[in-house]
Amino acid sequence: MVLLAAGPGAADMAFVTNQSSSDLSVIDLGEGTEIRRIDVPGNPAGVAIDHVGAAVFTVSPETATVTRAPLTGAGAATSLLLAGQPIGVAVDSPRRRAFVSDWDNARIWVIDADRMQLLDELPTGGAPAGLAVSPDGRWLACADRDADQVSIFDAETLALAHRTATGTRPFGITFDPQGRLYTADVGSDTVSVIDPQTGAVLGQTPTGARPYAVAFAGGRGFVTNQYDDTVTVFDTETRLPAALIEVGEYPEGIDAAPDGRHVYVANWFSNSVSVIDTETLQVVGAIATGDGPRAFGRFVAAMPAKE
Amino acid sequence: MRPFRILCAALLLLLPSMALAHGPVRQKVSVAVDVAASPAEAWAVIGDFQDMSWLPPVFDTTGEGGNEPGATRLLTLGDSDGPVVAETLRRYSADKMSYSYLITDVDVAVLPVTNYSSTLTVTPNDGGGAHIEWKGAFYRGYPNNDPPAELNDEAAVAAVTGLYETGLAALAEKLDQ
Repeated sequence: MVLLAAGPGAADMAFVTNQSSSDLSVIDLGEGTEIRRIDVPGNPAGVAIDHVGAAVFTVSPETATVTRAPLTGAGAATSLLLAGQPIGVAVDSPRRRAFVSDWDNARIWVIDADRMQLLDELPTGGAPAGLAVSPDGRWLACADRDADQVSIFDAETLALAHRTATGTRPFGITFDPQGRLYTADVGSDTVSVIDPQTGAVLGQTPTGARPYAVAFAGGRGFVTNQYDDTVTVFDTETRLPAALIEVGEYPEGIDAAPDGRHVYVANWFSNSVSVIDTETLQVVGAIATGDGPRAFGRFVAAMPAKE
Repeated sequence: MRPFRILCAALLLLLPSMALAHGPVRQKVSVAVDVAASPAEAWAVIGDFQDMSWLPPVFDTTGEGGNEPGATRLLTLGDSDGPVVAETLRRYSADKMSYSYLITDVDVAVLPVTNYSSTLTVTPNDGGGAHIEWKGAFYRGYPNNDPPAELNDEAAVAAVTGLYETGLAALAEKLDQ
């Protein structure tokens, strides 16, 4: 096991799936530059960080594979071929499980995160997309896009706990630090907020056009609006919009730095990552990536301290 | 006459045979042209959402809502009996000389794409000329696995690339004649 405590000399890294160029941009967020590019066949989109295993998981829909690669780049990648249309991925790092959604067959594959072997399948609604595990490890949630709902499972027993209606066509899904669940509803231009304990909808926040995914920092939510080239910022307590930030073109994947000071946005059309200062709510940088960055999932990792 | 279809067919002949493909992946195309005409002159030609007459295959444009977001237009291609493309304006900025629109209805035999969104932008070049960029994001015409060749990713990219190249070449000729 590798401990990944942020400390002096530690750097946050971003692992950005470039769907058009079929590779992974490894970005040193401290330096603000891409330091490595790793070939990942099959037009990867989904991504998740496995903190305990010090690995990055990516999902390639064209080759129907999920791939685990070491965060440090030292060591071989391992892939598992799946019989379906994989898209989203999340990792329950302490329990050593990875979850991958099957867009075509309304299910989640449960995968042994160390052995890269199939363990189980969980039924979902139609076109399951984004997946997330709650910060306390209690819940696994899936955005069932074509069913306009989320499926919430007990992350320990993998039993279905709730099915909750969202806005239209939920895609990205994220828990906030307090454990509330949020979906980006592509078809209704909303974010839906759900209590995973009860399955109740707590409310909705209006977004820009075609919201894709949500990230959290400093008591605020940040939503990428694909069709507006913007990020909607909202207050997680009032659920009211607080600001609108212009980013690159066709913003998609979004994730926050572990210390919450920055939020990173993958701009699919611009081939860049926008860096947002979460205090000033200004874009403070742009980092070049490969072609077609999607970064669908959690893609920022705190790295071990440098020697 | 169906110019889009003819263009697609011609381009398809140039394509290499495709690998076995599974689920659709969103595609993007960006084509630009630099002209001697000023940005204002270029925007005067392309900046009205209700007038697509600068694009060669377009026979007629009819629509509602002017240049306000939500405005619609119907493009008739080729001649008065030609195929029709329905589009909706989603963003418009005269200041930035840019507008973005969606195709809401098109036969994939005419343009082999789905979920198509596009942006036209004019920016100034050094020396007074204009840089005109046409960008699109879309999925292939066949949404499921194992598409026929005329509806696969390569066919979609080839058709949109050909459309943009044809349109911008005609625009450059019109502006700089």
